[in-house]
Amino acid sequence: MTLLVTSTKESTGKTAVALSLARAARERGERVGYMKPKGTRLQSSVGKTLDEDPLLAREVLDLDSQTHEMEPVVYSSTFIQEAIRGREDPEALRERITEEFEGMAEDTDRMILEGGGSLTTGGIVGLTDRDIAELLDATVVLVVPYAQPSDIDEVLAAAEFLGDRLGGVLFNAVPDAAFDSLASDVVPFLEGRGVRVFGTVPRDRDLAGVTVAELATELGADVLTSEAPTDGLLERFVVGAMTAGEALGQLRRVRDAALITGGDRTDVVTAALEASGVECLLLTGGFRPPEAVLGRAEAADVPVLLVGADTKTILDRAENIIRSGRTRDTHTVERMGELLRDYADIDAMLGA
Amino acid sequence: MSELSGLFAPERVAVVGATDRKGSVGRAVMENLVADFEGSVVPVNPTDDRLFDRPCYDDVAETGADLAVVVVPAAAALDVIESAGEAGIENVVVITAGFGESGGEGTAREEALVDLANRYGLNLVGPNSLGIISTPSGLNATFGPRNAESGSISFMSQSGAFVTAVLDWAADRDIGFNDIVSLGNKAVLDETDFVEAWGADPGTDVVLGYLESIEDGEAFVRTARDVTAETPVVVVKSGRTEAGAHAAASHTGAIAGSEAAYEAGLDGAGVLRVESAEELFDFGAMLAGQPLPNADGVAVVTNAGGPGVMATDAIGDADLDLASLGGETRAALADVLPQSASAHNPVDIIGDAPVERFERALEVVLDDPAIGAAVVIACPTATLSFESLAERLTALGETREQPVAVCLMGGSSAEEAAETLAAAGMPTYFDPARGVRSLEALYDYRAVRRREYEEPTTFDVDRDRAREILERVEGARDNRLGIEAMGLLDAYGIPTPESDIVDSPGDARRVAEGIDGDVVMKIVSPDILHKTDVGGVEVGVTDADVADIYETLITRARNYQPDARILGVQIQEMVDFDDGVETILGLNRDPQFGPLVLFGLGGVFVEVFEDTTLRVAPVSKSEAASMIDDIDAAPLLRGARGRTPVDEDAVVETIQRLSQLVTDFPAIVELDINPLVATPDGVVAIDIRLTVDPERL
Repeated sequence: MTLLVTSTKESTGKTAVALSLARAARERGERVGYMKPKGTRLQSSVGKTLDEDPLLAREVLDLDSQTHEMEPVVYSSTFIQEAIRGREDPEALRERITEEFEGMAEDTDRMILEGGGSLTTGGIVGLTDRDIAELLDATVVLVVPYAQPSDIDEVLAAAEFLGDRLGGVLFNAVPDAAFDSLASDVVPFLEGRGVRVFGTVPRDRDLAGVTVAELATELGADVLTSEAPTDGLLERFVVGAMTAGEALGQLRRVRDAALITGGDRTDVVTAALEASGVECLLLTGGFRPPEAVLGRAEAADVPVLLVGADTKTILDRAENIIRSGRTRDTHTVERMGELLRDYADIDAMLGA
Repeated sequence: MSELSGLFAPERVAVVGATDRKGSVGRAVMENLVADFEGSVVPVNPTDDRLFDRPCYDDVAETGADLAVVVVPAAAALDVIESAGEAGIENVVVITAGFGESGGEGTAREEALVDLANRYGLNLVGPNSLGIISTPSGLNATFGPRNAESGSISFMSQSGAFVTAVLDWAADRDIGFNDIVSLGNKAVLDETDFVEAWGADPGTDVVLGYLESIEDGEAFVRTARDVTAETPVVVVKSGRTEAGAHAAASHTGAIAGSEAAYEAGLDGAGVLRVESAEELFDFGAMLAGQPLPNADGVAVVTNAGGPGVMATDAIGDADLDLASLGGETRAALADVLPQSASAHNPVDIIGDAPVERFERALEVVLDDPAIGAAVVIACPTATLSFESLAERLTALGETREQPVAVCLMGGSSAEEAAETLAAAGMPTYFDPARGVRSLEALYDYRAVRRREYEEPTTFDVDRDRAREILERVEGARDNRLGIEAMGLLDAYGIPTPESDIVDSPGDARRVAEGIDGDVVMKIVSPDILHKTDVGGVEVGVTDADVADIYETLITRARNYQPDARILGVQIQEMVDFDDGVETILGLNRDPQFGPLVLFGLGGVFVEVFEDTTLRVAPVSKSEAASMIDDIDAAPLLRGARGRTPVDEDAVVETIQRLSQLVTDFPAIVELDINPLVATPDGVVAIDIRLTVDPERL
């Protein structure tokens, strides 16, 4: 029995859902294998060149499969370019995937497959997630985000695209404001259209944010404070480009935020230390703030990170890190497991 | 804070880290102390047996001192202070640097220092201080280049270098001091402690300060209010401009704070604020040496026409009253003056005036009951001796109860006369404008003394309901609330129009039909700050159009900001603005001064006109009323050009009610009611937005 976890968009929580389902199946005594037929996450600012998801899968599920077996096709930009030039043979790729799949499936009761990017990724070589589901006879769990009713157009299109390969839909990271109307209005509507809904998982701080320490690592930033805690969760960024007079008012409005500003904007930095929602200072341009300011930050338990790049570049990179919401560690998977138990029908997904 | 007399008048001072090494701080402090101090001075340094012809101690605990001056390196300072505390020495001046100002280890060291001070109840100055001076006992526990002259001004400075500069400069101008404190990092004792101590000190007539920040503005305002009822306090608060604030933040790491907040806070405290070092000491010398005016009128007596006009302009700029002289005074002047002179104010006694004419003319104008102060302007002439003028003015000063600003418009020829006058407490100036500005300080301080502080009114309000509304922020994505929180005002008795928030066109229609007349419709979204800018407000909507307008508002908001959270649309009763004035009423919680209530001309152009005024909450009834006086648009509220005046009492009451709301809930860090429409029949709050700090709920 094979499940394929895919999504309408990137970064919706596929990895966490796939690995949580795998663990749930294993807890029921099943032998479980994992495969991500099309790997995508190649780039890493700190020089890692491999997709991290299979590595995490090995750790979480205690597997001994090799990465190249779990990720037979690396869907990189070079690969795409070569495919468009006609230098990749779709048939050979299908064979490679099938071969690795069968090798792994042989010793397992269940294979959990993770889609690459979004539902339609791989169309260039005839390997969208629908094609993969057909090829490996998998049932699809479609993970989708939800913010407003118009998002449902896309869900219906995806359902039509997947046809009878679709087992059902799992809404993930649903904001509090939309949670009630999703359950009361949208779910019945979808069921009425013949689309099964496995669950509606609310947005969770632990999964949405990135810790200060992780941000520092991803950006290659220096942590200038020594005592201020770096395990605080960041959910958004605010740019300190305002005047000193406006800084305090604006910074007080935000929550769980990192302030990105030039290290020479001492006025904005000191204002940020008065705003309880600013959890971290990310200073750019390589300007180290005066020691007196660092002392105040330390006393206020606000960590200070320093990077050489400019504010615009750092904002883009930092937003990317938050948006990619990567499944970082076993803790993330455990948390998703808890959420699925509370808000989704795991039996239905595994039985689907 | 315990009494600080032990700090300024100790009997025995221990200098920990004393040395005779040339160029060292330890030596400089010893030399300064040994020179003039009435009590005993003991050096502490384990590596020496004798220093400065006296036995040297190994440990401060053995000295029996009641003041320890610490100049050892930072790493050793904490042990010394602990030892001093253990031995019962209550007063400590820490000159040593390498604490909070240097970050890292220094920050931790300063925290430990504060812990020690608290444990032993120390009166601790610094660290990173130049030291302290107290002239009555001859104490000069600084490493500055010279001692201060004695006088009745007490001065504190957040910059040590400024103290050394002032010592040098003031000596040339015969400005004397009672106490001087270099505040350093203000780890324990800060400006509030010294304002309090000097307010109670009979030797201090005026308190001057150079400050870059105020540690606890609310405490400062409370304390300074009491002190300024008896003793004037004048402060240069640097970092006024954006660039200045930036420099101050870099210097001390303190938040720059809003300039407007300092303005309001210092004014609320009765503190006079000056903008330059020169003005600080001009004000100081005037307040220390001259009596307060006993009438509003200012007279000018001059032997030179041009400078008399300059003084007259300066009096106009200062909003002082260039009094018209009474008939008797003019007649008496006519007796004293030649025919070509002017017996009107400014009184020009013309260029050939000898000193007697100056003296008699001044006596005559000071006899006029309308005259509270005088400006005397003397230019050098063949018939006038500055020295004899100085002698006459000094004698006159002893018999008169009005202040006189003396402008000696000469160079070196005026020096001796200036010294004579300074010794008699009469400061002199070259520039008449400077002299007038110093007189203005006396008038300003007189106004401070006349203030009456009353208890703020407490209204009957629904706190529980207000709390419930504020707590809604906890479920939000950020710290803002908007018109969905209008109930907050209702809970505090601030009138709001009838309204409801709906999330469907059908509900919108139903609510609108329940409200008399046309309605106003507004988008409700915490992410859209300026609703009118995005077409998020429609006024005068008929019941028939409500459903369509609902769709329009939602669509506009979505187009403007696709990811904005839209909570619905507010349907509000139309308020008749025709006889009303749009005002703004708000709060900004300043990191230093706490809740500042803002009132001014409101509406969409509030940022353009910036016609607003601030008060530190809680605001009393008379303070609330004075806020209306303060704004340029006050005549609009009071019926300019034939309008019906608005209900001013209702405005005053609403200001007080808001003051109570923000005092009751420290979690409200920012709030704007804009507009608050004031009409002849009362007020009504049309819109609100606020920022709530959930950690303070």
